[in-house]
Amino acid sequence: MENKNIEKNLFLKQLNESGALGFDKDFIATSYDVNFDILGKAFEGTGRTYAKLTMAIENNTCVSENCEHERKQLNILQEAPQKSLDFLSEIISQLSVVEDPNFDPNNNFKYTIANSILTEKPGFSKSHGYDMVLKILKNGSLELTFTGPMFEEPLVLNSSALESLQQLGVSIVAETPDVNTLMMKLLTNIGLFTADQLIDGELSPTAVIADEFIAKNPDGSYDYEIIDIGNGKGRNILKFDMDRITRKAMPFINAEVAGVLSSEQDAVALWNVYIAKGTSVEEDAQMVQNANAANESWSYEEDLPLSQDKKVLFESKYIEYFMNNYLSQFITDKLPTVEEDAAVFDLAEAKKAKAQKFIEDNQL
Amino acid sequence: MPAAAIIGAGLKIAGGLFGSSAAKRRARRLARQLRAETKKLNALENSRQQIVNPYSNVTDVSNLAVSQAQKISNPFANLSVATKASEIQMEQSDLALANTLDTLRATGAGAGGATALAQAALQSKQGVAASIETQEAQNEKMRAQGQQTMEQQQVAEAVRVQGVQISEAGRTQQLKGMGRNIQMQMRETREQDGVNYQRDKIAALTGAVNKAKNASTNAITGMLSSFGGGLMGM
Repeated sequence: MENKNIEKNLFLKQLNESGALGFDKDFIATSYDVNFDILGKAFEGTGRTYAKLTMAIENNTCVSENCEHERKQLNILQEAPQKSLDFLSEIISQLSVVEDPNFDPNNNFKYTIANSILTEKPGFSKSHGYDMVLKILKNGSLELTFTGPMFEEPLVLNSSALESLQQLGVSIVAETPDVNTLMMKLLTNIGLFTADQLIDGELSPTAVIADEFIAKNPDGSYDYEIIDIGNGKGRNILKFDMDRITRKAMPFINAEVAGVLSSEQDAVALWNVYIAKGTSVEEDAQMVQNANAANESWSYEEDLPLSQDKKVLFESKYIEYFMNNYLSQFITDKLPTVEEDAAVFDLAEAKKAKAQKFIEDNQL
Repeated sequence: MPAAAIIGAGLKIAGGLFGSSAAKRRARRLARQLRAETKKLNALENSRQQIVNPYSNVTDVSNLAVSQAQKISNPFANLSVATKASEIQMEQSDLALANTLDTLRATGAGAGGATALAQAALQSKQGVAASIETQEAQNEKMRAQGQQTMEQQQVAEAVRVQGVQISEAGRTQQLKGMGRNIQMQMRETREQDGVNYQRDKIAALTGAVNKAKNASTNAITGMLSSFGGGLMGM
């Protein structure tokens, strides 16, 4: 199932983005009928029913005692137009997620097809065998059914089921949170940057980690690491107190993970699209297109609710992703802030000087 | 106009449907954010270090000030009378008497000489006895003086120990009180900060969620005017 979802979702995505249909002779030769007229069909004959019910109540010719049934049906009809619009609007809203750039292709592919019909994507018209039908059920709920060649069986959505999910804040299509927004927000919250490094709550382009997290010698001077830049030359780079950084940042990172896990479907989407493979930000752009977490993907149908093991795994990978892709840039190859220490120097001399200092410091 | 064709009910409905659905999505996203932020805040609050009383480990060390009174003893309590010397002296008197008697016998002295000698010996022994009595009296006096000095020192030590105990207990109580005060102030500040933060965040997000929901409802209400009446005539 997982492979089928990925395969079909990515196929549909590529079909729409590649413009391949523009070069398909059969497609351009076929008529394009998208007049599904779902509301017209759903309310067909309702005017007559409405009139009959009203008359029965007014003339006291109801079948049921005290016209209970007739009144109930009349009420359903009166509410139906607003309910229908609300229902359709909810479906359009939830299915629109499939068009997000970071959409998780592990979502059920039928929703992508349904969205293609609703938004009149090329190839999903009535002429191509697709249809959608809205029904007002006796209990007052509404039912929208999608059919067509790519569906293995009709996709049926019920308004009352959707409403109950809404109450829980659950969607039928998982929306992948924007990992960059989450991580940048986390970066500003973990307490490694001073207030003057933030502009309107966001890190300034020149932001650097606070001085207290930079490793220092007992005399207060910076403890540099010397790197070989070739041709016998070297440079100092700052060393960071990783233990202190970790101790400061971890409570915030853990809280962030707890926040993400408050919506497990979001966590699954994040896992599938960004976290599972432990890739770089650049690679992620590719992943959404064609790789994704593939066989490491979690299934919405089978893995929700998430087991404790998966939550723990998610947390560790999330932290790893944050450290590698976001924090790392602030603690890797950072030049000294003291101007004279930032200059290029002769590596051999520096090593000799360092050895001499060691001898003097230790009175050897 | 894609949605217009889908529902066949005109541009207004199409626009309304998509407008409403966008607002619904925004509301859903904000509601999720609200939930996440609340959870995050709870997690942060739970993971913060426990507020500890910095003086909670202060202990009353007055027990270290142990009274030394029991170690103070009367050095004259067990004075003994030097009876050995007296015994030797008496033995010497007896020996001298015996020797003198031997001499008297050898020289043929009379009984009167022996009587005089016996009296001298008796006097010598009486002198020894008097010396012992004097010693005993002296010892008794010193014992009494020693007892008095010891009692004075014991009282002084008890007063010193009590002073230390009172002072230390007072200091401990003061520090404990200060610690408790700091603890309460920290907790108060922290809890208030947390509550304010949560309240602000929730208020802002709740407002945004409601605004988005209202936008969706308004869009649908707008559509109904052009849709409802017409449908009933079908």
